[in-house]
Amino acid sequence: MKLFKPKSKASITISLLLAVIILSGCWDIRDINHRVLPVVVGISTTDDDLYKVFLKIPEPVEEMTKVKIVSGTGETISKAVDAISRNMESSVDLLHVKVIMIERKTAEEGVKDIIAGFMRSREVSSKALVTICDQDLNEFFSILSTKELHGTTMLDFFEKNAGWNAEIALTRVWEVYRSIHSYTRDVAIPLIAAGKTTTYEQIGSAVIKNGKMVEQISNDETLLFNAFKGESAHGQIEVLNHASVMIIGNNMHHHSELTEKQPFLQSRIKLKVVILETRGKTTSATIKKELSTLLTGRFAEMMAKLEESEADILGLGQFYRNKITRKELKNWRSEYYPNLKMDMQFEIDIQNEGYLRTT
Amino acid sequence: MADKSLHVMLMYIISHLGLIFFMYPGNIISSTSQGHWLPILVGILIHFIFIFIYMKGLSYFPKKDIIRIYSEVGKGTAILFIVPVFLYFSMILLITVRAYSEIITIVFLSETPLWAIMLLMISISAYIASKGVEVIFRTGLLLAILFLPIIIFIFFTSFQNVDWRYAIPFDANFGFLTKRTYYEGFFAFSGGFLFLGFVQPYLSYKRKHVLWAAAFLIPFFIFSVYVPVLTFGQATSSTTFLPYVVAVDAININWLMFDRVTMFFLLSLISFIMLFLALVSWKAIRILSHYLPSIRPVKLLIALSAAVFFSCFLIPDWKDVEKLFWWNTFLRFYVLVAIPLSIFFFGLRMKGKDSNETV
Repeated sequence: MKLFKPKSKASITISLLLAVIILSGCWDIRDINHRVLPVVVGISTTDDDLYKVFLKIPEPVEEMTKVKIVSGTGETISKAVDAISRNMESSVDLLHVKVIMIERKTAEEGVKDIIAGFMRSREVSSKALVTICDQDLNEFFSILSTKELHGTTMLDFFEKNAGWNAEIALTRVWEVYRSIHSYTRDVAIPLIAAGKTTTYEQIGSAVIKNGKMVEQISNDETLLFNAFKGESAHGQIEVLNHASVMIIGNNMHHHSELTEKQPFLQSRIKLKVVILETRGKTTSATIKKELSTLLTGRFAEMMAKLEESEADILGLGQFYRNKITRKELKNWRSEYYPNLKMDMQFEIDIQNEGYLRTT
Repeated sequence: MADKSLHVMLMYIISHLGLIFFMYPGNIISSTSQGHWLPILVGILIHFIFIFIYMKGLSYFPKKDIIRIYSEVGKGTAILFIVPVFLYFSMILLITVRAYSEIITIVFLSETPLWAIMLLMISISAYIASKGVEVIFRTGLLLAILFLPIIIFIFFTSFQNVDWRYAIPFDANFGFLTKRTYYEGFFAFSGGFLFLGFVQPYLSYKRKHVLWAAAFLIPFFIFSVYVPVLTFGQATSSTTFLPYVVAVDAININWLMFDRVTMFFLLSLISFIMLFLALVSWKAIRILSHYLPSIRPVKLLIALSAAVFFSCFLIPDWKDVEKLFWWNTFLRFYVLVAIPLSIFFFGLRMKGKDSNETV
């Protein structure tokens, strides 16, 4: 059945031509040369409870990209960005923001609203990375502006196929948002400062619980955090008294038990390592033993710290979802988690020893 | 008349896919806090039962559409069944156009005025509808070839961030039956199947194939809800408006040159929705022109589209859309239950009469 037969081709042609007007979509359009696309957003709060926003904008100058840093304040982040936009010759577009940097003081007060704002507006991708700056953001960005920087340095620092390293916790906006609401999950966020010889320096990782920074863990502990997450510990160097090794693979096995509000978790982490360097007389047996005691000790120390702050960054509560009802799970962090006993065992496999033999 | 089972199957799949991924996951997630599989399963079961009854009933009337079936039974029945179906179609058109335009502005075209998007959706679907049923089904084949691979690819990659332990606690209860949102979620089950009774005079299809198409949709029904739950957890995903879209936003594929795969996903689904709208307008026009044979169908189509377009302006904000959604739920259940059962009943009665006559 045909409902309709056009009388002439002319009418079709005219209506198609008319469609061109709509199809161009040309209203409120801003050309790309009139937009600035910041890669990094820095957020801090001022004393009178306003947000101060810093934008790090790559600027093409004669076949090079230079970096410009601008800032503005406002009651909300979008207001502050708007203020910057007003004072600039082109409009600010947050579409390509890759890294969000929050000042430590602000993070300790809580980032709930900031993160929820990013999730809501969808302008900033929910895949953007979140970091915390261990120093005053004013200071940090003024140090950065004195250095000759390439346009995307901060991004490359985190990029998995560029400068990323297994001691850096990769945490994205949506993961922070999840930790605000989830009963059993918190996150760790890298803690960054301007470096002395390098551009940046990672001091450790901030532990975020319900959108607030509550604790800090060291770089070594972040490595364990990443290994636990299965975020391949690849290319990682562990220094012991007698040798340094590289972890090239890990797999884990967990067994969870619960006896009257007393959770017990048995974990076996199997690490595959490659020996890189040895000092003095070393056998593979000592390396295995030392590595395992070192990691076990380090892990226990980190767990003690985490349990005290009631922040479950390893997501251990996930293992108890089948043992605790949903209603009770709500209290996981306050009632169960601090009592958690963990039996951690590292099994070390030495994959290869390089060109030399060890005895 | 050629067997067009493939076209019917594809049409069945794509019109449902367009409906599944947007509001349906949110409706299910807010209807229960654990054991989402039960509400989904109940929905799927009801869906299967009624399409089976519907098709069984239709098979008693080869080459007749439901308008003829009802008008041959009697004038009273025609009013009792055809009028609600027509109302239902008009409501679907109105709500879908309005709701999806709003979703488009939320997700990507944040600065485009609503009327422009609504005009685009209505005019394209009205144009396709004016070309008749064969064009609709051929367009369906084309859209399926172009976009179905993209949808399936993104559907699989959306499992990237899942943590299967979020599926626990597994035990479910029937508490969702008391929740309004659960019934609102039924539009994903009941929106698309009525066309099977309209295309019979033009296309023939095998019942078995349609059931296969419905079976193909089962994983999409399940995982459109479970992917956000497994990625974010129930507590977080219940705070989002379009949970599945947010979950797709969190996909990070390094080797893909596109940063936001969500855009491809959404645009494919929007094209499916446009085709769905075309099909619904065509059905509505079939009903209208059966009762108003003196007016040319294309004029009716233009009048209906214009009416829908202008009625959309009477719905100022999302709260009103939700209200309409709820009102339409009654009509939807009437259509979902009464049409298949009545067709089946009339079919049986007619068969009984026939066999009596031959005896």
